[in-house]
Amino acid sequence: MLQNEQEFTRILKERLEGTLAREEIDDIVSDYSEHFRMGKESGRTDEELCKSLGSPEDIARELKALHLVKKAENSKSCRNIFHAVIATLGLGLFNLVFVLVPFLILLVMLFVIFIVGVLFAVFGPIGFVFSLLQLAGQPAFAIWLNPAAGAFFAIGITTMGLLLIIGDYYLARFFYRIGIRYLKWNISVISGTEEI
Amino acid sequence: MRTNEPGDDKFAGLVCRLNLSGLTVTKIILWLLAITIVSFMIGVGVLAVSGDLPGAHGKTASPFVEGGSPGNTSSFTLVGATSGAVSITMGAGELTVRGGAPEDTLMEATVFYRNAEWQPVITESVNGSQKIITMTDKGHTAKEWVAVHSPNSWAVQLSNRVPLDLTVHTGAGDTSLDLSHLSLASLVVENGAGDTEITLGSAPVPGPVEISLGIGDLTLRVPKASNTRIIVHSGVGDVSRSGLVEQGGFFTTPGYDPNRPVTEIRVKQGVGSTSLEAV
Repeated sequence: MLQNEQEFTRILKERLEGTLAREEIDDIVSDYSEHFRMGKESGRTDEELCKSLGSPEDIARELKALHLVKKAENSKSCRNIFHAVIATLGLGLFNLVFVLVPFLILLVMLFVIFIVGVLFAVFGPIGFVFSLLQLAGQPAFAIWLNPAAGAFFAIGITTMGLLLIIGDYYLARFFYRIGIRYLKWNISVISGTEEI
Repeated sequence: MRTNEPGDDKFAGLVCRLNLSGLTVTKIILWLLAITIVSFMIGVGVLAVSGDLPGAHGKTASPFVEGGSPGNTSSFTLVGATSGAVSITMGAGELTVRGGAPEDTLMEATVFYRNAEWQPVITESVNGSQKIITMTDKGHTAKEWVAVHSPNSWAVQLSNRVPLDLTVHTGAGDTSLDLSHLSLASLVVENGAGDTEITLGSAPVPGPVEISLGIGDLTLRVPKASNTRIIVHSGVGDVSRSGLVEQGGFFTTPGYDPNRPVTEIRVKQGVGSTSLEAV
């Protein structure tokens, strides 16, 4: 158990380094120093204050998760949301179920939709060319029951593929926003603070 | 509350740059949706008008060609001929040739096809004592080699009883020739693209045996007891041998004797592996 302010701030600093900027770390540390100062003025000991604040490792984990979620919110990218999810996972084992599983399900769903869209967008034009060759009397290319109908189906398949790709993009954006809100809520529940 | 997202709208930015005649993402989506619906509706309409609508007349619910014919078998008798010449030309598909045709029959061919117009044209004629049969894919063109999956499948059985000149040309597809029970007088095999498997018998083939492949793997089997010499010209690909002896740039069966009747096989391989086996 930590006994003094110096040890507390040293661990906090160490754990935040590499994720947060130097200025942010300094701000956080100065906030905690202020907390210690005010606590001491009211007659409380370092040990009591350390106990009331909790483990600096846990505080650092929460601050890092919060920072990465905010970063993912401000700058949308796969890398940022991935880091935010990983950081949130570190807040508790149960997040394997409540964060990782939904995240992976969404990821697989979006990937499958994208792949199906790409396949449609690629094979549609090929089907169209085959239908033309079939119409031109090339039996080796006869994949369609009816080549004239096949030409239209091929156009429809191509545009459906493009729609799936575009739809997947907007779906990904939607789930990104929902995901950020969910991660924030998750962190607030774990840290016992109001939602950020 | 949404913030301004620099990395968020790369796609939207791209679409904006393509903002031709006031096209917006919404308009593009609506256009694509409309084209999709209309295309499918016209496609179904064409199928309905032509009577090919899936579900009608027991047809499956797919606009694609499915399944194949149960097999259309034709037999060609020898009618007194003492030798035969069979030429098979297939655009694309799977070809299987083997011996064991019924007695007095030079060739029995079973054709599996998915479209009536894909049936081959088979002609027969007699030249002296030789019966000549040509089996040709009438849709065969030089372009067919690009067809990856052909719906055609031919299974040909030839007579074991009479000497036979056999010529096989295939554009694309796998070819399997089990000629181990045939009395071959000569053999010419050409395959544009696809794997080829040939098994020869122990009886010497007096005429030329020429195998020419474009792209695809070749497996050639000869009996160990046969007197066979194989000359290989390979472009790109490995040449492997099993049970054969390499001597002077040729491959021969273990007991090869040039003074006895020899089966001389010339192989020209373009791209693909060549596997020579003495079994």
